[in-house]
Amino acid sequence: MENENPTSIGEELRVFLEGPVSVLVGTRDSRLIPEITRAWGPRVADDRQRVSLCVPLATSYKTLDNLEANGEIAVAFSLPTNYRTIQLKGRLVATGEPDSMDLAAVERHRDAFAKVNEPLGQPREQIDAFWQAEIETSPVLVRILFVPRQVFDQTPGPGAGRSL
Amino acid sequence: MTTASLLAVTLESIAVCFEGIIPSSISTCSADGTPNITNLSVVHCIDSRHVGLSYQFFNKTRQNIGQNPFVQVVVVSPANLHQYRLDLRYERTETEGPVFEKMKTRLDAVASQTGMSHIFKLRGVDVFEVLDCRPINAEAGGEALPKVDFLPQIEEFTDRLSACAGLESVINVSLDSLSALFGYDHSFLMIPDEDGKRLFTLGSHGFGESGIGSEVWIGEGILGIAAQRREVVRTTNFSRDVLYSNTVRSAVERGGDDSLLERQIALPGLPQVQSQLVVPLVAQDRLLAILCLQSATTGRFLSDDERVVRIAARQMAAAMALQERLESIKLQEIPRQPSTVVPTAVSTVKHYKADDSIFIDDAYLIKGIAGRIFWKLVQSYAQSGRVDFSNKEIRLDATLQLPDFKDNLEARLILLRRRLQDRCDFVRLAHMGRGHFRLEVNRQLALKEW
Repeated sequence: MENENPTSIGEELRVFLEGPVSVLVGTRDSRLIPEITRAWGPRVADDRQRVSLCVPLATSYKTLDNLEANGEIAVAFSLPTNYRTIQLKGRLVATGEPDSMDLAAVERHRDAFAKVNEPLGQPREQIDAFWQAEIETSPVLVRILFVPRQVFDQTPGPGAGRSL
Repeated sequence: MTTASLLAVTLESIAVCFEGIIPSSISTCSADGTPNITNLSVVHCIDSRHVGLSYQFFNKTRQNIGQNPFVQVVVVSPANLHQYRLDLRYERTETEGPVFEKMKTRLDAVASQTGMSHIFKLRGVDVFEVLDCRPINAEAGGEALPKVDFLPQIEEFTDRLSACAGLESVINVSLDSLSALFGYDHSFLMIPDEDGKRLFTLGSHGFGESGIGSEVWIGEGILGIAAQRREVVRTTNFSRDVLYSNTVRSAVERGGDDSLLERQIALPGLPQVQSQLVVPLVAQDRLLAILCLQSATTGRFLSDDERVVRIAARQMAAAMALQERLESIKLQEIPRQPSTVVPTAVSTVKHYKADDSIFIDDAYLIKGIAGRIFWKLVQSYAQSGRVDFSNKEIRLDATLQLPDFKDNLEARLILLRRRLQDRCDFVRLAHMGRGHFRLEVNRQLALKEW
């Protein structure tokens, strides 16, 4: 397992992580089988050492089980307009119920994500249907708080995967 | 044991997710248990139990696959944005064979189009067994698009083609019918030149500017690569391809030979092309043409469209080959008639020997062999008032120095006729039955050679 110390998130990176990016969470179970889920409303904590995001319970049981069991988490933040992608790898601090600030961040994020996708040929209704389908069976969101220990630039190309 | 029945959702039922219209995501895990997650531009469906991922760069994903074969990808349906999780197990990497070649052609074509050939190289296709495929939300199921039954249309298409007489008719009827019968409203057809280095546009349908006469290099760009490899190239979301390519781009300067290409005529094309289907027309192992369909809609041409256009293209190639053969044997003389019309207005026709380009009143018309032929015709007209000509005499005229490639003469005459239609309303090349044509001039011509 990676055992680096917590990394401090600079202002430019914070703005990117909290921008109109697609957010994908990767975890794994005890047999090292990976699991993907989509997350919304990422927020960098004031101490710049922790990041929170929200996942729909309906689509993320396995992710949450994995985090409970081993705490290993990887999150890719990717901007649809230019494919700039940052991956954070770290460990779970806690899961819990989102507060009003988290829910407001989810709303902002969904709105910004839809706006940035519209010129790429995805109508607003489709983007809304995207996350609405995820919460069709249950509107419950779960907040994941984790400490990033490594930051990678994963923008496509020969240099993808460079550690920052 | 066969496990095919165990997939909660069959790959066939979500085929549209494998068209690369919306990016997918992939998560892997290293041997020490650290997960990794990133985006993928496309997951290729190989068969009902296997998918393929392109291997271009050695990155963390690839490194992890070497340590731990279990992988998950999430694919998204462009139709309704439903998402599906696929649990995969790495099986092998292919570096040759049909799957590899198809992916390589597409990658090379887009890379060439965006000037990135030196960056994008397909090293292999990683093949994975699909262990499970299920909707992300338990409520969503498979979503097979209704199968379109193209049979009546393709029957009608072949029927119309078989009624064609002459190469020009084959081209016009084909492009018109692709639109009328299948709704492929924007298309053009390019044929190779004599030395097999360039393609030039001989017919088009549904564009503001016909683009007749425009050229591309064989081997360059999407059209040129499709022609060179004689492979179909289908793009479903071109703006994403370009976006992706630009992201990877380091400055690429292209030099040299481009000045030799006909740039005065723009290729036919939609301003906002999103989907493109390029199909080579091959008969008797010869590349006769390439057919290009375009659409401003993402995901317009799916795998069923590719299949039906392949059939149409084979019919077109066979019809073109047949016309060639008929042209070369049905030759006869017709009497030469002096022109009786005496027009009053005067236009200047300039011929530049260097490249046989023709300018009428300083507007570019055409160059190369077609330019040479046109110059010959108008000279003959100016000297003796002659208006009737036959393909055969053109073909046999030593002063024209036609390449030893008889099959292309008809195409050159079509090109000339279309360019005149597009650019000049007082000179016309009219069909006078098989193998003969008439120069119709409604203005006095002053000829100048440079």
